[in-house]
Amino acid sequence: MANGHTPLDEVLMIIAIGAYVVGALALLVYFFSRSAWLRHLAIPLAIAGCIAQFGQLFARYEITHIWPLLNLYGSLSLFAAVAVLIFIIFAFRYDLWFAGGFVLGLAALFLAYAITWNEGTMPAVPSLQSYWAKIHVPLVVSSYAAFMVSFVISVLFLVKYYLERSLARRNVSAADSPGLQWLDTMPSLAQLDVLIYRIVAVGLPLLTLGIITGAMWAHESWGHYWQWDPKETAALFSWIVYAIYMHLHTRNAWRGVRTAWVSVIGFLSIMFCYFGVNLWISGLHSYKV
Amino acid sequence: MQAVRDLYGDFIRTFGNVLFAVLLFIVWGLLTLVGVIIAQGKDPATYFDSYAAPIARLILRLDFNNIYHTPYYVGIIGLILLSLAVCTFKRVIPARLPPLRAVAIDKIPLHASFDAAGDPETIRERIAAFFRARGWNVRKRELGGVEWTFADKHNWARRGVLVAHAGFVIIAAGTTIYWAKGFSGDEAIVTGQTVSVPHTQTSIKLDGFSYKITPIITKSGMVYQPIDYVSRVTATGNDGVARTATIRVNHPLDVDGVLYYQSSYGFAMRFRVTHDGVRVPALMNRDYLTGDAIDLPGTQRTVAFAQFVPTVDRLNGVPSADPRVNNPAVFLQIFDSGQASGAGLVPMKSSIDVGGGWRVTPERYLLVSGIQYTHDPGVALVGIGAFVLLAGLMISFYLLPARMFVRIDPAPGGSRIGLAATTVKGYDIFERQFNDLAAALGTKLIGDSSG
Ligand code: HEM
Repeated sequence: MANGHTPLDEVLMIIAIGAYVVGALALLVYFFSRSAWLRHLAIPLAIAGCIAQFGQLFARYEITHIWPLLNLYGSLSLFAAVAVLIFIIFAFRYDLWFAGGFVLGLAALFLAYAITWNEGTMPAVPSLQSYWAKIHVPLVVSSYAAFMVSFVISVLFLVKYYLERSLARRNVSAADSPGLQWLDTMPSLAQLDVLIYRIVAVGLPLLTLGIITGAMWAHESWGHYWQWDPKETAALFSWIVYAIYMHLHTRNAWRGVRTAWVSVIGFLSIMFCYFGVNLWISGLHSYKV
Repeated sequence: MQAVRDLYGDFIRTFGNVLFAVLLFIVWGLLTLVGVIIAQGKDPATYFDSYAAPIARLILRLDFNNIYHTPYYVGIIGLILLSLAVCTFKRVIPARLPPLRAVAIDKIPLHASFDAAGDPETIRERIAAFFRARGWNVRKRELGGVEWTFADKHNWARRGVLVAHAGFVIIAAGTTIYWAKGFSGDEAIVTGQTVSVPHTQTSIKLDGFSYKITPIITKSGMVYQPIDYVSRVTATGNDGVARTATIRVNHPLDVDGVLYYQSSYGFAMRFRVTHDGVRVPALMNRDYLTGDAIDLPGTQRTVAFAQFVPTVDRLNGVPSADPRVNNPAVFLQIFDSGQASGAGLVPMKSSIDVGGGWRVTPERYLLVSGIQYTHDPGVALVGIGAFVLLAGLMISFYLLPARMFVRIDPAPGGSRIGLAATTVKGYDIFERQFNDLAAALGTKLIGDSSG
């Protein structure tokens, strides 16, 4: 079987990484300087990178006729693409561009890592030859992507919270602190909290649907919808963390810094579910290449 | 009696508290994580190999090797269900479906007030029209001598939490039905053999098994990628009628509500066993699965069928990684009085000397299909519950029930309007919309009255 190196797909991948790296740098400077031209430069780059990525996945599928998401290379590529897509939608709606440097930077890192897993094209093993692969994998990966964006905003929330608290203790304002003026240009903590909530509210239904479709697939493939396989239980763990987030978020006293921490823990658990289980723990889902 | 009432009160307070629910979630999450990290259902020796002895002992003592079936795992889910029930009736319903009541407008963080020309009655009508035009449900009440107007948006969505919680309960009910009434198991069927499936009236005969494996050169070397596994079977169900069918991965076979899945494959062996050159009839035509042993009659000797090697490299005689059959051999281990006394890779049709005049020859291999079966009468309920849960999440997350409280009092030259809003998710989430609404209402009333 040919080990199909498809130049088009690799070229598109490199275009995407390039666009994200330049876009990320522009938006990181924008984060501190708020120079509008940097944002105007970065928005088309983010959009172009995202389109190149979807183009890359499509090209790979067209060339190989093998669903491209069944290995870490393809799924990480979708992960980065959807994270950027969700970010772009939220950024247009809620003026979130200030956080874009971090999102695009992470997307570029994940893509660069994805390339190290490019083993060429392989036909799917029997259990992966199912239409469920086309439903379940994009849902789960999209939920991870949404959680990545909520993670970035949560970290920014926490940075703002702790810096402002320490400034308040010293009775100084951000405006008077050299190098910290950017704190005031960010949305308020309450607004950031609402943003995190809204993005988690995209991720959690996607993860729920991802787990449900995974269970349906398992029912068809392994004979039981739930086998307590490490991957599905790790996903259940992440789901529980985000359910905790949602419940704490209903309480006034817990909304804010505590829920932001839960969101950070939630994303770490997602990363464990995504990489930890694939790479360290063997089970029915350990499709490494 | 008082003690019982106090106890009941404490129970309701504890189990009806969302933070207690969160605590239960945390315990559930941690137990789940333990099961992810510690391999489940392995041989006790595996844990002693992987962990220090005291930790391995702890894992086994606490049943962490089979955590999802332990009383405490099931118990925590039971507590979650109990807490969910108490919370739903004692907290969610009263808090989420609040009666129309008077409020202190300026005590609510989202509030605004302004004056408009016009008597309170006309203003009230205009405000009602304003909210109705934007899809709000408007109700009026006289409370404590004051006329109140209440406008609700997405009021029905207040029940989203109830829907999500109901979904969780339905899933729990579905899984309980499986525990109570379902069964599952697996059978290794040798080609040509028939097995009767326990718990059912069904028998399954394996007419043939085939598999397809493709070698692929990847960047990190040769990979033998399985492409297809197919069992051709004759299944005889309750009605006694034999039907032929195929079972493939992702394409299970349904016989009388029991599903049969292709789960694995392997090789069975037939051996020729001779003693002093004479064939032993008692050991003829027997199928041995991997791990089975041949007991040599009248001796303490056994020969174990340790492994089937599909391909032995013809050049160097070493087993290759190629799982396709091409120059097969069998790895045999010889035991004397339980002690290992020899081992060897024996090509098909060659024989191995076991000692005492005994010889064993791998004569023929047969494909074995591993079939798993499950009967799960709760599966439909779990499916319904999952979608109910999902619907509940969507309703709760994407629709924001909000209530506007409008109080209109006469003021010199017109009316004084006080406006406040509450939502089920706090105030911050509604701040922008509230400000927009208040501004639009102010413009409309003032514009109308000036116009
Ligand atoms: C121990 C069990 C549980 C208890 C005691 C509990 C309790 C509660 C309470 C009291 C609320 C409403 C809080 C408020 O409006 O003030 C709530 C909200 C909610 N619960 Fe639960 N719950 C439990 C389990 C679950 C489970 C398993 C799910 C499934 C995902 C779930 C999904 C939700 C959702 C979606 C909301 C709405 C959140 C929002 O509007 O932002 N709950 N829960």
